[in-house]
Amino acid sequence: MNGTITGGWGFVWSAYGLTAFFLTAYAVSLFVRLRNERSR
Amino acid sequence: MTPNHRFPRAPYALLALGVILLLLGSYLGLFVAPPEHFMGDVQRIMYVHVPTAWNALLAMTFALVCAIAFLFRGDFRWDARMEAAIEVGVLLAFLLCCQGAIWAKPTWGVWWDWDPRLTTTAVLLFAFIGILALRRFVDDPVRRATWSAVATIIAYADVPIVYYSVTWWNSLHQLQSSPATVSKSFHLPLRMNAFAILFLMTGFIMLRARLASLRLEHELAPPPHELDAVGELA
Amino acid sequence: MIAALRKELLLQWRTRAQAIAVFVFGATSLLLFSFAIGPNASALRQHAAGFLWLALLLSSTLTLAESFHAEMEHRALEGLLLLPTSPRAIYYGKAIANWLQLALLGIALVPITVVLYDAATPRLGSLILIILLGTAGISAPGTLYSAMTSQTTRGKQMLLPLLLFPLIVPVLLAAARATSLLILGDPMEQTASWLRLLAAFDAIYWSLCGLLFDRVVEE
Repeated sequence: MNGTITGGWGFVWSAYGLTAFFLTAYAVSLFVRLRNERSR
Repeated sequence: MTPNHRFPRAPYALLALGVILLLLGSYLGLFVAPPEHFMGDVQRIMYVHVPTAWNALLAMTFALVCAIAFLFRGDFRWDARMEAAIEVGVLLAFLLCCQGAIWAKPTWGVWWDWDPRLTTTAVLLFAFIGILALRRFVDDPVRRATWSAVATIIAYADVPIVYYSVTWWNSLHQLQSSPATVSKSFHLPLRMNAFAILFLMTGFIMLRARLASLRLEHELAPPPHELDAVGELA
Repeated sequence: MIAALRKELLLQWRTRAQAIAVFVFGATSLLLFSFAIGPNASALRQHAAGFLWLALLLSSTLTLAESFHAEMEHRALEGLLLLPTSPRAIYYGKAIANWLQLALLGIALVPITVVLYDAATPRLGSLILIILLGTAGISAPGTLYSAMTSQTTRGKQMLLPLLLFPLIVPVLLAAARATSLLILGDPMEQTASWLRLLAAFDAIYWSLCGLLFDRVVEE
């Protein structure tokens, strides 16, 4: 590693955004599946 | 909805707590923590990456515990928990691989850096996806539970071997060392996010296990004209 | 267990046309891999070991998928389980038979690799040892998963590789590295450590799969 890596906020945002997106998507899918199964 | 299905609050409370903590921890990690000396701002990925890694490993270990418990006890609640833990583990491992790739690109200029931990996670991810596929293709609940428990144990036993093989392979190729550990100056966002994802994971697993139990109930209580088939299963 | 092994070997001898077909499949994949690289002698030599193991791995799914075929076709597995032998003996008989068949296949693919990739090695004994250890690593979990997937009604073709391939990543890595060191030269004497890794994998999976097999076939 030579010198400080400058910038790279795009990578940081995409990492956090991806995580948030998939966690939310999973939560939504879980709620939908649970509701479908309960109403059967 | 039948009245005897209670609506326990615990998983929802855990999820809410997890979201609040995750927002707080990420805020601290993104805006308050100082940039790291060598990595600069890219190092902030670590505040979500490392907690995800710990929890992915935890979810998969819990799946192993459930698998062993099912094989010894034969209780289908353990099967439901195993299915839940595998699915949430797959989600976290997938996120981990994505974050790892995003971390590797600016740091080393490649998307995949053959870090032993990351590679082991990827192998485990595919192994667990295989187990989820197996569960889809087996209709008999007893076989499905037993076989996926067996496959979970076998897949988990692979972890140390994959880790060592990739470590050796790396040392022979003299690639860069694995990602630097988080700077000691700011542990708080790391811990907050670790507990946040732990709460989220626990809530997810509880809800997903309930879904699995409900599905099994419906599977075992089909419309009256199929009752003969159930008799054969039991 | 000896009886179970003898039965398996007899069965494999009777269906040797199938083994030849698997060999032709493996040789064809080696040919295809060489076309993917093109006529570049040094690149071919560089990748020879990896392609040999990939070809062996792909062919092994064919062998393994067929290994419970006879039992399934005539519902003979239930019959075997009724015999006073333990399921463990059946498993080890099957796994050893698969291992021998895969090892022979691997050894048969070596001359093809040498011709196509110009990848000769003077250390034939070590190469055969690597092939034995590597195919043992494929056969132990492969036989167990084959017992599962051949009992499923749907998705037979897909499930076996899906379950098996992630698991044997370390086998592929270690065997391909060790073979590559034999072909390209091993200045730092690293082959032995890869062999130890393969042996550790084999020891773990031959015992673990034997322990778990009776849960897979029990009703």
